[in-house]
Amino acid sequence: MARLVVLGGGVAGHTTATFAAKWLGSGHEVVVVTPNAKWNWIPSNIWVGVGQMTKEDVTFDLAPVYAKAGITYHQAKAVSINPEGNESSDKPFVTIEYTSADKAGQSETIEYDYLVNATGPKLNFGATPGLGEGSQLGEHTVSVCTADHAVHASEKLAEAIEKMKAGTRQKFLIGTGHGMCTCQGAAFEYIFNIEHELRKAGVRDMADMKWISNESFLGDFGMGGLHMKVGGYVVSSKLFAESLFAERDVEWIIGAHVSKVEEGKVHYELLDGSTGEEEFDFSMLIPPFAGVGLKAYNKAGEDITDTVFAPNGFMKVDANYNAGAYENWKASDWPRTYQNPTYKNMFAAGIAFAPPHIISKPMSSPNGTPINPTPPRTGMPSGIIGKAVAHSVCDLMTKGENAHLHEASMAEMGAACVASAGKGIFDGTAAAMTVYPVVPDFEKYPGTGRDTDYTFGEIGLAGHWIKHILHHLFIYKAKLNPGWTLIPE
Amino acid sequence: MVKEIITYPTPLSVEYATDVRVFNDELFALIEDLKDTINENNLDGLAAFQIGSYYNVIVVKNEDGELIEIINPRLIAHSGRVTTEESTAYYPNQTAEITRYENISVVYQDRDAKDCSLKASGSMAIVIQRKIDYTFGATFIHKMSKEAKEAFENRLEYGGEVGSADYCQTSFKRDKIVLIMNVIMVFMALGFVASLFIEDSLLLQNIWKYLLYGSIGVVLLDVVYFFYAQYEGKQQSGCSSCQIGNIIGTALIVLFKLSIIMLLSYFFVYQ
Repeated sequence: MARLVVLGGGVAGHTTATFAAKWLGSGHEVVVVTPNAKWNWIPSNIWVGVGQMTKEDVTFDLAPVYAKAGITYHQAKAVSINPEGNESSDKPFVTIEYTSADKAGQSETIEYDYLVNATGPKLNFGATPGLGEGSQLGEHTVSVCTADHAVHASEKLAEAIEKMKAGTRQKFLIGTGHGMCTCQGAAFEYIFNIEHELRKAGVRDMADMKWISNESFLGDFGMGGLHMKVGGYVVSSKLFAESLFAERDVEWIIGAHVSKVEEGKVHYELLDGSTGEEEFDFSMLIPPFAGVGLKAYNKAGEDITDTVFAPNGFMKVDANYNAGAYENWKASDWPRTYQNPTYKNMFAAGIAFAPPHIISKPMSSPNGTPINPTPPRTGMPSGIIGKAVAHSVCDLMTKGENAHLHEASMAEMGAACVASAGKGIFDGTAAAMTVYPVVPDFEKYPGTGRDTDYTFGEIGLAGHWIKHILHHLFIYKAKLNPGWTLIPE
Repeated sequence: MVKEIITYPTPLSVEYATDVRVFNDELFALIEDLKDTINENNLDGLAAFQIGSYYNVIVVKNEDGELIEIINPRLIAHSGRVTTEESTAYYPNQTAEITRYENISVVYQDRDAKDCSLKASGSMAIVIQRKIDYTFGATFIHKMSKEAKEAFENRLEYGGEVGSADYCQTSFKRDKIVLIMNVIMVFMALGFVASLFIEDSLLLQNIWKYLLYGSIGVVLLDVVYFFYAQYEGKQQSGCSSCQIGNIIGTALIVLFKLSIIMLLSYFFVYQ
């Protein structure tokens, strides 16, 4: 009987653990280590952040679901990995620290035969002075990265709406809080959901709304942009985004690295080297992501974190980390199996794997500050990668260590994204986009690097309905209700 | 070499431009072609897109008449707004009033791949903005209000919808059949709702009869839609695969809506 330990219970970790448990049956053990007691459908946090959903609508307790699936569950955070075991044993193990109320702070080691690192990101608020400390959100801005953050954001939004109703104008500043952020899509959804709610509340004319982001053009979304088929025309996501911003009367600052946040004010540096300040009454700035800070030690107890993890804290996998300059980047640089090159029984899935390079064009200001979006690897790609890794690990466990590994390269993977721009059964809108492949392949598709037949988008009410259906569908799936395996990632 | 400038009605945007990644002779030749074409036609600037290249390169004339090579431009900052009468090589002999930023800051690369930035205002700012728009697949039409766009397109010989076999249209004649079916079903639904407040059995029988006729009409139209849509889809050789799912889905959605109306009507109206 072998043991698979999955670190993290987000989209990637949950997918890996649940599929592995289903495929392995009772012959092997699946263990999940996640610091959270609840599973969170993160995309719907946007709706919690505008008061249209509650925390309970987007989360559920993990323990009963894992009990049903036969998964051993530890509510704890992983601290370190010993992939070679220690002096007394050759068996690899992870060291965890409990976060549940009854065992908080207690440490334990768990031996493993296979390990999947799906810890997701550390929300690195501390990277921008004033945005927060470490992974803790600061006092000046709000966030929608977790359900609790989103609840807090909705309270602050309600306060802002009350002030506007009382006749005080409010400035809204939404976007990314650092030059190296990803997840522009979440901020994009949030600003338009706020705009929608302000219109519903009848106070839109009292609000000045502004977008700030590290994208070098509006609509880059960390993917170098995409072209969309809108109303019979092919247009770039730049035109699509610019018209949406203009239509909703939202101004924008792009190519911006937020260098400092103060009470009611951000300082930023632009790609052209100029600096500026922007005042706000309400601000939601997405923090940059970093690895969760896992350490790794060899048999002798020496620190080998640099061998296992990239400098940003994400786990090294079968990617080409020596691709060099932008002109040398290839689709084949991207990982296919997500297996750690040094320790073959370790894999990384979702945000936790270290990408070989970014997707958008790398850019920096004349002062040397890098200002470009880092690659998105959330949502659909996370789920697909999680499932492929589960497949690989199950084959390794059941067929032996020479089993063929399953592949899911982001350069050969399409992804669908539905970005909400306002919630409402009859007046909601969302932009539904598909992109293939996620990472452009300039050799296969000269020009844009993408297959134009499978990269398209539309915005409208139907998109909102799809988004709402997906909310219920994915929570249904994550709860492992009947037929869950039939629902795609 | 002087190149032919793509002009209306040849569709300009099949794909938007891609950033230059390799700075080699191919790029330098493209830049020379742009300069030759600008000089030959006495233009104030050109985007590579306008001479059929998909690279994100523009060349514009500055106030001194010098040609500036701008590779991978990004419009980073802007201020002020100004409305001027613009003309562009894509629409020969046409002008339009367009509102743009008065002052802009652009970051770009030169032919040595060095990062540069420039600030522009006045007419040069306007030309750069128009050329950057081209690199993202847009003409100045995209900067117009809906009314101005319609008026401008009416002046064009072939209107605004110049098709291309290389990409999917998303508005079709078949959508009109869907509209008719939806209108019929709205009336049917209204008939059903009204019937809930009617007790006269003769009237109810008549309503049921109309609902039945309506449903037969919708089913027939749905069949017509299904076959006509496929015929229309085949005219678009580029993407028949992406349409077939849409056609089947739309036909099924109509039948689903109709079934709900008729099921409810059967239980509440039929006597």
